[in-house]
Amino acid sequence: MADRGRTIEAPSTRAARAESGTWRLPEPVTGVLLLLPALLLLLLLTLYPVLYGAWISLFNKHSFFPEQSFVGVANYAAILSDVEFWASVRRGAVYSLTTIALQIVLGVGAAVLLNERFPGTNILRAIVIFPYVVPTVVAVIVWKWLLDSQFGLVNYVLQSTGVADHPISWMGRDWIMTSLILVSVWQFFPFVMIGVLARLQTIPLELYEAATVDGASALQRFWHVTLPQLKSVLFVIVLLRSIWMFTKFDTPWLMIQGGGAETYIRTLPVYTYLRTFAYYEAGLGSAMAVAMFMMLAAATAVYFRLWRRDESL
Amino acid sequence: MSRSPGFFSPAGQLVAICALALLFFSAFPFVWMGSTAFKDSREIFATPPSLWPNSFTLAHVQRLFSETKFLTYFRNSLTVSLSAVAVTLLLSTPAAYSLTRLRFRGREQIAATVLFAYMFAPIMIIIPFYVVMRYLGLSNTHVGLVIAYTAFCLPFSLWMLRSFLQSIPIEIEEAALTDGATRFQAVIYVVLPLAIPGVVATGILTFILAWNDYIFARILLSRDELKTLPVGIADLYNASVVDWGMIMAAGLLVIAPVLGVFVFIQRYMVAGWGAGGVKG
Repeated sequence: MADRGRTIEAPSTRAARAESGTWRLPEPVTGVLLLLPALLLLLLLTLYPVLYGAWISLFNKHSFFPEQSFVGVANYAAILSDVEFWASVRRGAVYSLTTIALQIVLGVGAAVLLNERFPGTNILRAIVIFPYVVPTVVAVIVWKWLLDSQFGLVNYVLQSTGVADHPISWMGRDWIMTSLILVSVWQFFPFVMIGVLARLQTIPLELYEAATVDGASALQRFWHVTLPQLKSVLFVIVLLRSIWMFTKFDTPWLMIQGGGAETYIRTLPVYTYLRTFAYYEAGLGSAMAVAMFMMLAAATAVYFRLWRRDESL
Repeated sequence: MSRSPGFFSPAGQLVAICALALLFFSAFPFVWMGSTAFKDSREIFATPPSLWPNSFTLAHVQRLFSETKFLTYFRNSLTVSLSAVAVTLLLSTPAAYSLTRLRFRGREQIAATVLFAYMFAPIMIIIPFYVVMRYLGLSNTHVGLVIAYTAFCLPFSLWMLRSFLQSIPIEIEEAALTDGATRFQAVIYVVLPLAIPGVVATGILTFILAWNDYIFARILLSRDELKTLPVGIADLYNASVVDWGMIMAAGLLVIAPVLGVFVFIQRYMVAGWGAGGVKG
């Protein structure tokens, strides 16, 4: 690393002469200049919005009109006593924890399977990754069609095989969370699969050979050889997926469209969006976004601590 | 694991069954989408449903083109996504070179901070983001959307390009300098050609992210003729009567470009995972 970062010295006088024409700036200046446009954009459109969001969370602010009045922490007091806010946090927690658990199980399973050698692995791997790169709106509409209560294929299959004796209302209040979880797992487990597969391919074969010689069964090999090797990549995957599932907006939002059971999957991001762009309460919406950030930060801190304690064992 | 279980062994059969189940789970929704898109409207609602369309028709695609603004949305999506790729690469390639090869104080800290920006989900910054865009007069413009996607894609593209540049031996650059090239020439003629696969891969992932985005387009654009595909299609679905044939045809056409570029990148995705080349 240190070697990679070292300065290139112009090795000949000719090069030095040629260089003096176009490369006159000192290296740190050039370095900063090349970096500056990207950095400015990030500062303006990521860092500034984060800070500005925290600032407007202290105001009673309309989303479109310029009027605003300072209210201090009133917005925070309001969300803390808002029953719907806590309900949305609970739904968001159920949604993210369930989908993450299922994504991990399915993703690790698929990765272990695709790490085996059989004909067609490359094509199968591409097909499995594909749902992850299609637009969320496509994932949602195709599943809404499959799960349509009247004409959907899933209900047809369930009824004609006798599993269900009446059509299930997948977008109704009892099932919409299940449907949302199904769509999300289908869409996002490839992320886990990709990460785990990348790691699996670097596990030395000798470890498995040694375990086999010692008489370990396939299950034992998975438990005692594979899983410990996957620990660090799973740490990162669980972290990233938790952040992304807890803040996932488009999948639940698009599932809600055109259905009557929307309140049953109104997770925190959806509720934040509604507060801001349907009720026009930008101040309150920002306070909820800040609250979302704090909850994530707290969860991340606990997660890191648990991990470190686990490591020291 | 390179053990290759024979197909007829119990282990081989288990592998085959799991592989088929996985294939079915991942692929079937797309198959059903294609099947619905080309059936006539009566067959779509027929019982029992048919997997292979008995009545092949392009009526849904035609209706999509004639009765909706699909082609406008498609053009908008293409313009915005390609512009976002161009701007992102223009900004991030020099920046990634700077973060890899040029020495200055705070370089590693900046790189780490950029990675931190990767953690902010759009919903957490969308409200102030919208206010900033309105203030700059960029709401309801494609320029605003391109800038939004660039900002959103910069962190991962910087990291990805950086890891690519780190894999190019510095000796090659030094050799070019020895042969009398200027540093600028060495970068343009020696480093960049070697970095092309990384630049292309980064560009394709940027394209996919921009092409798929819903939330930025939903919030920044309200004029119908400016909308991009994800928003346009979501609105099609919200029409009072859902025209499943047309919606599925729209879905197929939306994923076609993604499928086109995905073929080139999917191999890379597993290898490039560690470089932060995936998000969402």
